[in-house]
Amino acid sequence: MNLEEFIDDFERDEEAQRRRLAAEKSYAITEHLEAVEDRLEATLQGDSLFGSTAPDIFVGRSGYPSVSAGVLSPVDPDTDASRYVTSSDWYERGLSIDSVFQARSGLLNANQPTNVHVADAWNGFTGVRREVAIADRPVDVEVELANQPTVDLSVDSIASPSGPRATADDAQLAENPHVPRAVEKTLSDDDWRATGAMTYLYNRGFDVYEINTILSAGALGQTSQRKLVPTRWSITAVDDTVSQYLRGTIRNASSIDQTEVRYAEFLGNQFWVILTPGRWEFELVEMKAPQSVWNPRGGDYWIGSDHESFEGRTEYVDETAGAYYAARLGVLEALAERDRQATALVLRNVTDAYWGPVGVWLIRETVRDAVSNESATAESFHGAIERIANELPISHDRLQRHSVLTAGRQTTLSAFDR
Amino acid sequence: MFTAIVSSGTLLAALDSVSVLVDECKIRLDEDGATIRAIDPASAGMVDLRLEADAFESYETDGETIGVNLTRLEDIAGMANADDLINLTLEEKTRKLQIQIDGLEYTLALIDPDSIRQEPDLPDLDLPATIAIEGRDIDRAVTAADMVSDHIALGVNDAEEFFYVDAEGDTDDVHFELDRDELISLSAGDAHSLFSLDYLKEMNKAIPKDAEVTVDLGDEFPVNLQFEIAEGNGSVTYVLAPRIQGN
Repeated sequence: MNLEEFIDDFERDEEAQRRRLAAEKSYAITEHLEAVEDRLEATLQGDSLFGSTAPDIFVGRSGYPSVSAGVLSPVDPDTDASRYVTSSDWYERGLSIDSVFQARSGLLNANQPTNVHVADAWNGFTGVRREVAIADRPVDVEVELANQPTVDLSVDSIASPSGPRATADDAQLAENPHVPRAVEKTLSDDDWRATGAMTYLYNRGFDVYEINTILSAGALGQTSQRKLVPTRWSITAVDDTVSQYLRGTIRNASSIDQTEVRYAEFLGNQFWVILTPGRWEFELVEMKAPQSVWNPRGGDYWIGSDHESFEGRTEYVDETAGAYYAARLGVLEALAERDRQATALVLRNVTDAYWGPVGVWLIRETVRDAVSNESATAESFHGAIERIANELPISHDRLQRHSVLTAGRQTTLSAFDR
Repeated sequence: MFTAIVSSGTLLAALDSVSVLVDECKIRLDEDGATIRAIDPASAGMVDLRLEADAFESYETDGETIGVNLTRLEDIAGMANADDLINLTLEEKTRKLQIQIDGLEYTLALIDPDSIRQEPDLPDLDLPATIAIEGRDIDRAVTAADMVSDHIALGVNDAEEFFYVDAEGDTDDVHFELDRDELISLSAGDAHSLFSLDYLKEMNKAIPKDAEVTVDLGDEFPVNLQFEIAEGNGSVTYVLAPRIQGN
């Protein structure tokens, strides 16, 4: 698997603008950051030793293959560290954008510059980071900080937001981490390709969140190839790998027999999932409101779309980035569960109410929720689109120009044999 | 028993026309020549290839069906210079294909034909419009459409008697029109169907620019594209299912 293909150009100034807009939209965040700063000062009290329970790690991507990679742990040592980890639980708890930002800005990223080629290194800071990543519950650690943390909040379209950062001199485990047996198995097999190991873990009940932390720590794949994977890329890599596996399982499955329409919304994001009889085909169309953090300069709705046919994609998507892979996973999980294939269209409307990017988990979980909802049935795919079009912020004609599936779904030759 | 000598150009043109849809296929060999029929994994595109015995420099068979990995076979054939002759011999006992090109010898392991997807029947289509067009015009239409969109509408205007191509993109459009005089021939009937450019781009690669291509079209119906290869001693027919809006 070539992870470099998941790199995309995210302009620095756009990121900064998004952060500023997000801060403007919620004074709570600014206030919260001040509270985090106070808390950090109180906890550290001039001491460079920071003891906490680390639930997660973070691997940056800037400067790849020399990246900054760190252990994340709550600034407040008395809280339940597991609540800071991105998972489907955040959706089930109905977290607000504010609470996501607060949770993530309360996590200190104690990091070191590292080369991603870690192979079988399990000592020093690299070792601690890897142990935290493969453990199935938060691990007690002691980190020696080289400097005073900088309190900030950075946002990303794929990864969850991240909070204060400090450079770490060293770190030690303060307990023996608990590592699930399936993870030990993938670790000890030095000749298992990363894609196969990811699928194995998924089939053993690990959710993509856990798998991407493990992948990101460089704990999967043939030993000599093992390297740290920037968090942002690992999220998409796992969504993609698991989806390709699931798509394979429904390749010969029979089609669903009528058009099904489902809906769910979360944090100002509306999702429609339309499944219609046919071979596997998938498209995500995203509409982003003008003047929102996602389309700050726009005077009109921004529309982006990506599509794959029965055989899947060979190239990284152009317009919808990690959202595509997260949405497709949700749809494929539902189809694989039913052992059916279908032609699937996901429409996402990002309203102005979605004022701060929380990460791609929002898309994955909302689509997962939508496909598990009761469906409305429609006479035809076209009929379904026409009905939904009334609720969309763009015209049917504009949708059709951006959506391959709306313009026409691929048929099979056998459908025309007399 | 099968042994044949064929020019590398003829063999490659034949293989390329099939490999745009599938990676492996069955080749049926009988006294009239070689035929390949295959359908792509999505069951949307089909190819029917005939290479007559006259297309070969020499050709002998008792009637055989072999299964080949097209990518491999194309790679080997690609080792030949344009006018080199390629010598093919089937090893009965080992079920391998001996390929000789100017001193180079390659033994290709064959695939069990039963393990290859069953050959499709050619669909029985009654298409109302037929045109004959030069390969280079198809190339122009496909190349221009690809700049704006990933699908393309092909149609015939019955009343005004012209063939047209439309592509609608996010912001830009392409329209291309050829009337009776600009076509080789036109037998008009109302037709308009949308097709995936992924397929047409691949098929276009296999169509010689100077070929005369017969195109049969209908309304939200498959398209039939037929042209000759090997100086008239072979033919390729593509059938492609449309993308549709209705049910």
